[in-house]
Amino acid sequence: MAVADVTSHSISITRRLVTTVLVLEFLSALILIFAVTFHEYRVELRGFDAMLTGTAQAMMGSVEDAEDVGDNLVLDLHDVRQLGKDAVYQVEENGGHVLGSSGNRAAIADILSSGEGFREITIDHRKYRLTILRAIRVIDPDSPSGGVKHNVTIVYGRPVGRVWHEVFEAIRFLVITAGLLLGVTAILMALLIRRYLSPVYQLADEANRINALNWQFDAPEVAKRTVELRPLARALEAALARVQLSFEQQKRFTSDAAHELKTDVAIVKSSLQLLSMKKRTADEYSRGLAISLDDFIRLETTVEKLLTLARLEQPPRIRDSRSTSFSCSIKKIIEEAVHQSSSFAQLKEIKVTTDLAEDAEIPLDRRDALLLCSNILVNAQQHSYKGGKVHISLSRQEDNVVLACRDWGEGIAEEDQPFLFDAFYRSDVSRSRKSGGTGLGLSICKAICTRVGGTIDISNHDGGGALVIVILPISKPPSVPNNFSLD
Amino acid sequence: MRILLVEDEQRLAENIVAALRETGLAVDHAANGEDGSHMAEQSVYDTIILDLMLPGKSGQSVLCDLRRKRVHTPVLILTAQEGKDSIIELLNAGADDYLSKPFDLGELIARTKALIRRGKGVADSRLTIADIEVDTIHQTVTRRGEIIDLSPTEYRILEYLTHRPRAVVSKRELLEHLYDFAWEHHSNVIEAHVSNLRRKLNAVGDEPLIATLRHRGYRLIGGGRRD
Repeated sequence: MAVADVTSHSISITRRLVTTVLVLEFLSALILIFAVTFHEYRVELRGFDAMLTGTAQAMMGSVEDAEDVGDNLVLDLHDVRQLGKDAVYQVEENGGHVLGSSGNRAAIADILSSGEGFREITIDHRKYRLTILRAIRVIDPDSPSGGVKHNVTIVYGRPVGRVWHEVFEAIRFLVITAGLLLGVTAILMALLIRRYLSPVYQLADEANRINALNWQFDAPEVAKRTVELRPLARALEAALARVQLSFEQQKRFTSDAAHELKTDVAIVKSSLQLLSMKKRTADEYSRGLAISLDDFIRLETTVEKLLTLARLEQPPRIRDSRSTSFSCSIKKIIEEAVHQSSSFAQLKEIKVTTDLAEDAEIPLDRRDALLLCSNILVNAQQHSYKGGKVHISLSRQEDNVVLACRDWGEGIAEEDQPFLFDAFYRSDVSRSRKSGGTGLGLSICKAICTRVGGTIDISNHDGGGALVIVILPISKPPSVPNNFSLD
Repeated sequence: MRILLVEDEQRLAENIVAALRETGLAVDHAANGEDGSHMAEQSVYDTIILDLMLPGKSGQSVLCDLRRKRVHTPVLILTAQEGKDSIIELLNAGADDYLSKPFDLGELIARTKALIRRGKGVADSRLTIADIEVDTIHQTVTRRGEIIDLSPTEYRILEYLTHRPRAVVSKRELLEHLYDFAWEHHSNVIEAHVSNLRRKLNAVGDEPLIATLRHRGYRLIGGGRRD
């Protein structure tokens, strides 16, 4: 059902493009037809008028001397060929003497008196265009009296339908041509657009090959060359690369965590099995149990650290962690961490010095803050030589507090630098678990810092040893509502 | 029998070494791949237990190097990795067996012993030489049905000789396979142990079983059959 819904509401760019182009083309055709109609009508009308004028003048020429005593006129239309069967006309002499006429005389009589020019009237339900021509015919101009002058008026008209017929012919031609053009355009566009869109399908095919086992995605060359597709292809490549990286990190973490836990379980199990291999003395049992308990505590520590990391990597519930109720003094926390690790420091004869002039409230849970500080401190001590020293200082930088922890140990190998914060990464593997590290300490530190928008960075100090720089935001003072009253 | 354990995890290694020693095996321990590789090439081990995830040189490359150098000592792999692919790869690379962590200590011992036997070309855990039967599981020796009470060292000498029935086994070879790194300290007492063993065996039957070849070592007499 869902698929059917998607299909019924799907949008086709091809269809939209073809429709748009066709509509535009159709509108253009319409405008063209209107323009051509207007123009054609005017041209045809001009021609029609010229024909009317020409015929009327020819008729005027056909008005002749009647060769009678009264010097009257007579109309002889034999030479006027283009008169036309459907023509209406009336030739009239001054005083209303009609020399000749055709058609409905009553209708024509109405316009006889009007001035020269063209008129359109309806005669017997048919539209006619008429021309009115006035002239003076002089009979016997050579006579001493100067001849007899006759005022002649000619009204000549023909049905205007002829003009429209020509115009309609032109429109018909245009409509057929436009229709054919629309059809050809539609077919060509559908074919071409499909072809032009082939990079999209290729990109989709390539993207379709991605699955949990194969994250490799290389956008097809043609998609990368297509300007419109380039951003999509690049975004896909980048997004998938990020997803792959995160997926692989997750996978590695899971596998490393499993390895770590299995090893710890193997130790506990083998300790107990070793103890039960044969009957032993009460002393041996008690010693064996103590060892087993130590092994078990280590397993517990690993589990606890994994759970801590999992908790810290969950997104905080409140978006702005600065405004949460968590807050503690960084100075006090460092002092506590130094105190906690003092026995280990004594064991390795390491001198821990502090410079805690600046104090600030940091938006961290006390427990997490202590975990962060002691992890950094213990890490520094573990990487110090016997009899070495570790120095911790606090300073402020705008809205942040900067914790710097420096040791004078062996520093960091260049090849380890990118992996220092990876879970289970131990820089010196041979020392690895013997030193009690689970390889989670720095990952936990990073998770704590990231959670509150802080940073942690480790580098080699120019004067030897490693330098850990932690930058944490300072807690905002709790906001008190202005209109709050205690009464 | 002498075992090499290559395992970086200190506590686990301690437990495995203790357990193997309690079953009468001599064990040497290497905590990283390089040391393990170097020690394994000595070819004095009857089986190598090899962890996969090792600092420095990985277990897999230790194994590959060994096989390339034609060291045919049986290898048992310890792994905490899942996945059949890596196991197939390891077996194809020349591993003889594998165990996943967390394993059962008893199973590890049993598999190790089975590999030792296989390495010597024996399938049965009970070895028979003439009228003597050596049970390598329960570590008991019987002659003509009578149990002979041997000290751990005496038992180990007999077991080793039984595994190499026709060969002349030098004193050095015995020492190398019966003791850990500190075997040189035992060189003076081995003759006493062999003498005691010979005496105890002869208490039941009269035919002498262990022959001493001057400057060459020891050999089991009547060691033609083993099944």
